[in-house]
Amino acid sequence: MSRYRISGGGRVDHGAPVSFTFDGKSYQGLRGDTVASALLANGVHLMGRSFKYHRPRGAVTAGSEEPNALIGTSRGPGRFEPNTRATVQELRKDLVTESQNKWPRLSFDLGAINDRAYMLFSAGFYYKTFMWPRSFWDKVYEPFIRGAAGLGKSPTEADPDRYASRYLHTDLLIVGGGAAGIAAALVAAKSGARVVLVDENPEMGGALLSDPSVEIEGQPAWAWLDAKLAELRALGVKLMTRTTAIGYYHQNFVGLTERLTDHLDTPPANAPRERMWRVRADHVVLAQGALEKPLVFDGNDRPGVMLAGSAQTYLNRYGVRVGDNIAVLTSHDSAYYAAFDLADAGSKVAAIIDTRDEINADLADSAAKRGIRVLKGHTATGTKGRLRVSSVRVNPVTAGRVGKPTEIACDALLMSGGWTPSLHLFSHTKGSLAWDADSNTFLPDRKTEACQIAGAGRGLWGFGPVLEDGVNAGLAAVQALGRSADARSLPVANDRPGSGISHKELPTDRSAGKAKAFVDFQNDVTAKDLRLAVREGMRSIEHVKRYTTNGMATDQGKMSNINGLMIAADALAKQPPQVGLTTFRPPYTPTSFGAFAGYLRGETFQLTRKTPIDPWAEAHGAVFEPVAQWRRAWYFPKAGEDMHAAVARECRATRASVGIFDASTLGKIEVAGPDAVEFMNRMYTNPWTKLAAGRCRYGLLLGEDGFIRDDGVIGRLSNDLFHVTTTTGGAARVLNMMEDYLQTEWPDLNVWLTSTTEQWATVALNGPNARKVLEGLVEGQDLSDEAFPHMSIAECTVAGLPARLFRISFTGELGFEVNVPARHGLKLWEALIEAGKRYDICPYGTETMHVLRAEKGYIIVGQDTDGTVTPNDAGLDWAVGQKKPDFVGKRSLSRPDIVAKGRKQLVGLLSEGGVRLEEGAQIVLDPTQPLPMKMVGHVTSSYDSAALGRPIALAVIEGGHERIGETVHIPMEHGTLRAKITSTVFYDPEGARLKA
Amino acid sequence: MTNQKHGFAAAPVLIEELAPVARFSLRVRPENRATLMQALGLDLPARIGARSAAGGREALCLGPDEWLLTAPETAPIAAAAVYATTPHSLTEISDREITLRLSGPQVLDLLATNCPRDVAALAEGKGCRTVFDSATVTLWRDGPAEFRMDIWRSFAPHVRSLLAQAEAELIAGL
Repeated sequence: MSRYRISGGGRVDHGAPVSFTFDGKSYQGLRGDTVASALLANGVHLMGRSFKYHRPRGAVTAGSEEPNALIGTSRGPGRFEPNTRATVQELRKDLVTESQNKWPRLSFDLGAINDRAYMLFSAGFYYKTFMWPRSFWDKVYEPFIRGAAGLGKSPTEADPDRYASRYLHTDLLIVGGGAAGIAAALVAAKSGARVVLVDENPEMGGALLSDPSVEIEGQPAWAWLDAKLAELRALGVKLMTRTTAIGYYHQNFVGLTERLTDHLDTPPANAPRERMWRVRADHVVLAQGALEKPLVFDGNDRPGVMLAGSAQTYLNRYGVRVGDNIAVLTSHDSAYYAAFDLADAGSKVAAIIDTRDEINADLADSAAKRGIRVLKGHTATGTKGRLRVSSVRVNPVTAGRVGKPTEIACDALLMSGGWTPSLHLFSHTKGSLAWDADSNTFLPDRKTEACQIAGAGRGLWGFGPVLEDGVNAGLAAVQALGRSADARSLPVANDRPGSGISHKELPTDRSAGKAKAFVDFQNDVTAKDLRLAVREGMRSIEHVKRYTTNGMATDQGKMSNINGLMIAADALAKQPPQVGLTTFRPPYTPTSFGAFAGYLRGETFQLTRKTPIDPWAEAHGAVFEPVAQWRRAWYFPKAGEDMHAAVARECRATRASVGIFDASTLGKIEVAGPDAVEFMNRMYTNPWTKLAAGRCRYGLLLGEDGFIRDDGVIGRLSNDLFHVTTTTGGAARVLNMMEDYLQTEWPDLNVWLTSTTEQWATVALNGPNARKVLEGLVEGQDLSDEAFPHMSIAECTVAGLPARLFRISFTGELGFEVNVPARHGLKLWEALIEAGKRYDICPYGTETMHVLRAEKGYIIVGQDTDGTVTPNDAGLDWAVGQKKPDFVGKRSLSRPDIVAKGRKQLVGLLSEGGVRLEEGAQIVLDPTQPLPMKMVGHVTSSYDSAALGRPIALAVIEGGHERIGETVHIPMEHGTLRAKITSTVFYDPEGARLKA
Repeated sequence: MTNQKHGFAAAPVLIEELAPVARFSLRVRPENRATLMQALGLDLPARIGARSAAGGREALCLGPDEWLLTAPETAPIAAAAVYATTPHSLTEISDREITLRLSGPQVLDLLATNCPRDVAALAEGKGCRTVFDSATVTLWRDGPAEFRMDIWRSFAPHVRSLLAQAEAELIAGL
């Protein structure tokens, strides 16, 4: 056992050694250690190099606020993570860890040249150094900055871990399982409320884990803790450890990340690594405690210099003495207890250097009893030691004057600049803060959410006051929840009360301009940088922050914000609240991408809808394309065919004999009720009154603005029943729009809408032989042209299945669409394929569907329209019931700019020279005009047409309807193309084939 | 499954697809509810989320004028006789959804993976329309640890994949 580990000390398991490596060297720690505590137990303080100056650094804290000890960890193949906090990562067997930002090695790093050249790297050096010459930016400066930016190596492999998510509803969420949180939980749990208590540490207890000598209700702290946690469990409180509340959002919505497996030697199969909890709580208690501040003096970042409270944690929680010969530098009483505990555990305490002139008499007595020298009214002006502190230089301060220095040898220097209440989550809620001049800190003021703030998180100190405050917060929460509870006080003995003062950087007898007195350790920001920022004109703390990067590292200034503010305020000769505090934003601590992604990766990355016929398409080699949320068969290539060849074959086969197409994705809405026809008249542009039952009509839907929103064929099954089809992508939107009008404008109508998109599987048969394929399978309907003409609908039986049969066409050929209950979709498809074999039936996909419809000039809403196309623009005036009193969009159709000349109108385009135009290509009238040319429209659809043996296109062109026959020009990258404006109907303009 | 530490008896959840039933969406104005109740021979509860059952048929109130009805496939529902005097719509949606039965001691955790609603607060014998991830679903709570979930057919593979991941996570015990 290392001589720094106290036999049987702390809460680690001394019977369970755990081996791990750091920078290739093997070490042993104990179960319950963090990487940092295990390294400290082995006497290793040097854990990394700083970001900008590559200065040697060690752990300065024992918690999640750690700015220095950021390491790379590898938990096995594919499981490398940069910037893991060594103070948070628990030891697990064979964990591989490495230091960062060093080359060639941690103890000798060439990048430390930056430290020598620190005068060049002052605040705002990016803005100054890289300004000139301008031509250097792209080739020299930017690559240099990018190379230097960021800390740690990004992982290169896909993350093999699983991540989970869960919703949680509770009456009360308590953030922080320390004394205040536990006291609040006890009160609330006894009221019968559902209570969730979360803490980011592996075990509950907070500061109690570091202060075992305190007694509560007559019991030692740890015994009391065990008893109370057992009581909470028995009362049904959900206790969540390793769980960080990362963000506090509107209406008491709190995000938690729970770390599930990083600490386990062998995680169970399929166990998620982390889980994101989305909590909705009726009430919240924030008991996050306080974070200790460093003191700002030259050399305060040397390995071995750490926060006093953290050294106390290493001692009492992990049984690790951080040094043999310890000096303590403090402006707060709390550091005395760290010194006393370490002295009692066998370390020598060289001195307690107190910046204050007066100290508490009890503390002075206790120090004297232990033979500890106390230097009052002193400052620290430097440290020595290359990779570990070896001494601290201290000077007396008398009436503001710094006296002669003394060197005190030490192998660890503990510092305490007082404590900052953790206000992060409260700040997320935009609750306001008030400056407390006594404690020189911000405290929570006006609340915006149903929450309480308890304990050290609102500036209280000592377990007695904190426990009492926790009880009161619990009572307030219970009352807010409309419940009641008894609460008794929790008497504390051997308490460790205390107070302190706050400082700007400590006074020095040396040149302040040369002091490397760090404020933000992670971003290497010194007191001098902050003063420089003020000298250069920064006034707001927000500007100072961005100019110096103070508080902009991943720890979000947990240690540096108040010190930075004190220094900036001093430089500005203002009070701190006049300079302000920067805003805390979620997440509270760095959070993995995996935790945010949760289940939304791999096959559940995004919802993909498939039709009942999709398995057949997949088995028959279809290539798919996404259409809205659906995946649809795009084309069915045969061996050796590319897309062009497959689509040409599918088009030819359909026009020559028969093609079969899965149209199940079309939106379907059943419009039912005595007022169905009136509703249809008001929604769609077309007149519906005279449409007989058993007949269909093309329907056009506009927005209030008169622009085309959707279209589809609509069948009237009976007087009171319409079967509406919509575009695939428009289904939900159209139903919402209809419901909106129905519920808000026409609640008097007796009509109801039901989405039946997924009730029906829809198969389209098109081609001259379509009837022949279908005939033998249909019962209950005569399919002859006389009995069942184009645009008919009937309920009948197809292939033994109940069906809604349409005679409609989106290809210009004789066409039918068969709807059967969705579970039978595949059966219907296979029956039609079988019946169609003798006609060489050809399955086709969405690309062929697009080509065939374009040959007929049928528009696709969203492709040939863009939300600014009116029925007239699209050549669809025939679909508008001009005599109807009203319909959605009717008034807009007579607005001056809608009827003005020169609107972009849909036309056909035939290019010269057999070139297929590019969809989206811009069109000009005169290709010789000077740049920039006037663009009069663009190509909306363009295909090679097998039927016409040439490319065809649709386009919108200003005044297009009056330009039929004119030639327009399409300037492309490699020359200007010419095309003739034509009608939109390229194939069978008389429509003879439809009526076959 | 044999080398898993959780045996079949201790399976945290059970996910089964149920055989199809006849399913209808009934829409009728609240003031005409009684007439339809009589015509259908089935209580139509007025409170959203409330259910009724009789003769193998069930009704779940989803809105002030909306009920989801189920019936055996052999005995579908009709109310055509009262249509002329009491206009309503009764649309068959049997094939629109498929139904899963979700049960087991950890079924609430299973649902909490992707359902933002406080499912634990849904009383036994009640139902609701909600979402599971981005899919709209209807939940029926049939027992303390037993639910039915109606999912639009094309959303079902996505939902099932999410449920399978959640089940694996529950079996892992973390």
